Amino acid sequence: MTDRRIKVIIAKPGLDGHDRGAKVVARALVEAGMEVVYLGLQQSPESIVRAAVDEDADVIGLSILSGAHMTNFRRVKELMEASGLGDRLLTGGGIIPTRDQEKLRELGIDKVFGPGDDLQGIVDYIRERAGRPSKG
Amino acid sequence: MSVEKPSVSQELWTDFFAGSRLACARLISVVENSPQAIPEVLDRIIPRQKGGIRVGVTGPPGVGKSTVTAALARRAVQAGRKVGVLAVDPTSPFSGGAFLGDRVRMQRLSDDHQVFIRSMASREGHGGLSPATPYAADVLDAFGLDRIFIETVGVGQSELDVMSSADLVVLVLQPGTGDVIQALKAGIIEAADLFLVNKSDLQGTETLLDSLRFLMEIGGGPRRKSLPPVIQASALQDRGLDEAFAEIERLVSGLVASGLFLEKRRARLESEVRAAIGRELWDKYAALTNAGEVIPAVVGRLLERRRSPYPYIREAVSRVRILIDEERGPREEPQ
Ligand SMILES: Nc1nc2c(ncn2[C@@H]2O[C@H](COP(=O)(O)OP(=O)(O)OP(=O)(O)O)[C@@H](O)[C@H]2O)c(=O)[nH]1
Ligand SMILES: [Mg+2]
Repeated sequence: MTDRRIKVIIAKPGLDGHDRGAKVVARALVEAGMEVVYLGLQQSPESIVRAAVDEDADVIGLSILSGAHMTNFRRVKELMEASGLGDRLLTGGGIIPTRDQEKLRELGIDKVFGPGDDLQGIVDYIRERAGRPSKG
Repeated sequence: MSVEKPSVSQELWTDFFAGSRLACARLISVVENSPQAIPEVLDRIIPRQKGGIRVGVTGPPGVGKSTVTAALARRAVQAGRKVGVLAVDPTSPFSGGAFLGDRVRMQRLSDDHQVFIRSMASREGHGGLSPATPYAADVLDAFGLDRIFIETVGVGQSELDVMSSADLVVLVLQPGTGDVIQALKAGIIEAADLFLVNKSDLQGTETLLDSLRFLMEIGGGPRRKSLPPVIQASALQDRGLDEAFAEIERLVSGLVASGLFLEKRRARLESEVRAAIGRELWDKYAALTNAGEVIPAVVGRLLERRRSPYPYIREAVSRVRILIDEERGPREEPQ
């Protein structure tokens, strides 16, 4: 008898000030029964991963509109590995050109979402990929 | 139930006792997600606890509980305490999901002081906490933290009398919530150890303070020797929080010196032991009988005939002994 609900961190690294998209996604995940920790704006990769550790999050979702996606995803991924969160899902959204998506895949970030993607697709992807055998 | 396999791996215990932050977080997930593992976890951690003080921060939605909690926790760090925060937000009754937003106001606490902060969804909990919150506090205590702040869900006045799992309760209010004051029952005066009037940068602070003073005069009740202190603060302007923190520390010392701290914990533990025995007996009874199916049928008949359920209950209870004797069979009595 375990009652594990998928726990997702939603964060906005960097300096751009729009979090509407991030909040819409957060809302959709909550409606899908997930527990969403919302961190807010202007987060450093360090604070995002520290939060993910304390929260024992299954998923980190980054919302990046500033164009600085490569640096942020790379740094968050590195910190996740270093903190023992290598088995957790890292994904995100923003305006990310196809050639960068390719590079992200090489970093182990399989899928990122753009303005055209529907919310159900995000929910389904997270549901499918968030499972972790080790979780209590 | 199948043969019990430990829910917590030896590796996780080793990491936890070695001070791994992730192991601490994972142990909280265990008590949150696997209630059947709680006895096993408590067996291991209670001997390691050092009696960390639990400070509850409660109050209506949006009054500034998170901002205040962060401000108090920061002062506790500066005073040399090892600090942790548990922040509870409501679970949606429709989806079972939860939007946990308290961390937004606690960012500096995490960035500058590396304080362990854990958000918890209230799930099936009542009174502003989740069922696992007291156990999460136990985990943090065993992890070596000596000031554990617990922010409740923004609760309505009817629920404000909760938090028996805190050693000390700070009730946060804000101007313009006269209706809340109207509805505060005398019990609140006894449940709260400190009233913090936040957002005193806003209009209406004097009115709120006046009604609080009035409420205390009429409703202090005979059981409490002294009325709880009222502190005026603005978490936004960082005013009044040195005073609030100093007051909390003073109250904590008083609680410890007077023995009330232990007395409160004793009462809590006693009811926990009783509840746990009740649960275990029920599980046993349910496993040994087909009570799960019988009770709905019995209740159906009782409803039709408008009869008291007690004849059935008495019969059920009298069967317990027989069942347990039978189950024990030829095995030896435990020592
Ligand atoms: N004017 C003013 N605003 C404040 C003060 N303290 C907090 N706030 C603001 O009040 C809003 C709510 O603050 P929170 O700390 O999130 O309140 P809360 O009680 O934790 O809210 P819930 O957890 O949702 O119930 C935020 O916009 C804060 O910036 C204050 O002293 N003065
Ligand atoms: Mg809050």
